[in-house]
Amino acid sequence: MLPLNYAMLDYFVYHDEACVDDVMADLAAEYASFAAFARPRMQEALMTAHKNGLIDETRFDLDAEGELRVYYRASAEQRKVIGAYLGRSH
Amino acid sequence: MDTSTSLGNRELAVAKKRALDAAYFRKGIAVAALSSCMYALYTAFVTAGQLFGVWAGWFDAFAPSGLLAVFILPTIASGVNDVLSAVWATFFTAGQGKLADLGRCIASKPGVIVIAAAFIGGPIASAAYVIALSQAGTLAVPIAALNPAIGAVLARVLYRQPLSPRVVTGIVVCVVAGAMIGSAGLSGQASSGMTLGLGLALLAALCWGVEGCVGGRATCMIDPQIAINIRQLVSGVGNLCLVLPALTMACGEPLGQSYVFVAQALTDKSSVVFFACSGFAAYFSFMSWYRANSMCGTALGMAINGTYTFTAPLFTWIIVGLVLGFDGYALPSVAWVAAVVNLVGICLIAVNPLDMVKKDGDRDASA
Repeated sequence: MLPLNYAMLDYFVYHDEACVDDVMADLAAEYASFAAFARPRMQEALMTAHKNGLIDETRFDLDAEGELRVYYRASAEQRKVIGAYLGRSH
Repeated sequence: MDTSTSLGNRELAVAKKRALDAAYFRKGIAVAALSSCMYALYTAFVTAGQLFGVWAGWFDAFAPSGLLAVFILPTIASGVNDVLSAVWATFFTAGQGKLADLGRCIASKPGVIVIAAAFIGGPIASAAYVIALSQAGTLAVPIAALNPAIGAVLARVLYRQPLSPRVVTGIVVCVVAGAMIGSAGLSGQASSGMTLGLGLALLAALCWGVEGCVGGRATCMIDPQIAINIRQLVSGVGNLCLVLPALTMACGEPLGQSYVFVAQALTDKSSVVFFACSGFAAYFSFMSWYRANSMCGTALGMAINGTYTFTAPLFTWIIVGLVLGFDGYALPSVAWVAAVVNLVGICLIAVNPLDMVKKDGDRDASA
């Protein structure tokens, strides 16, 4: 089992584009009990990953409830960097 | 879909995105400022701790320029601080239910990077800084505060973080502010070991520049709480199990005596309470520092953290001078002027009105 922050980044290695809700939905089965498994904290973690060049911001919109969704993706080079950090080859 | 409704949603989305980015930016600044204040408290309490109990007896008994006073005791002070800081960090990690993640992260590549950064910035830099403080007094503080400039350059080279002429100018202004405080010759503590003290302060600056850059980057992957837990564990164990024996043997002193000092320091009620406080402040300071560097970028995060050139002497004066009543810790007036200069430098690094206008335009276009 990966640490939560690692799992969030690992998600972008296997998915083209996602917002924090997509990531949370995918990881909920394993990580929902974690204290850090909360939308604001995970959104901040994605913003920090973006700030440090591990993922790119692609677009943003509002969901049906009017909540902001910011979408991110990892380029081929970024996937290699993430994979190298996590000790995987992609 | 109704065009007017779609347009309204888009404007609302743009407004919410701006608010999210602004809140993130403000939080990064606040976390960086907290790291400075906590670092100042760490400095004040670790200074105070060495004025009481067994420490007062040791510094009275041993020659100020002797090897024990120059190398061994400051290293013990640093090690005791870091061990107690690691205890605090582990306590909070357990309280947040992250102990299992701590184990997982230590075994990972980012964990190894944090361990390496922690060793450079922990045992090596902390021991150098404490010895520097004992030899050069608070003059060591502004020298060690060169670390933001070093960190920013490293972040540019290693991680391609932006380093525009405006940012470079801001860093230079911050370094000048630190030098202003140093040139004032803050009262007390100047000794025959001044040159050694300033040299070690510069070594600490180099080590912290590396740590801030590398550790900050790793914190975008590792939870800051876990990263700093690793950092303080490595630092505490490294100081007491590697640096202390090495220095003791290099000084030709008996190894057993050094660990008797450690045991006495940890069990001396009148001084250990200050080290417990300094350890708590160090834990919060370094966690905020790593987190701020990952949120703001190394240049801005380390520049704001670097305001401890002013806050550390200020808090030391308040706690050691005003509250505890020791003489020789007052700030000269130039320190206050330097604080303003430092803020100007930070604003230069942080804010570029032209960029902000440009970003707004980009956001509108991409919404």
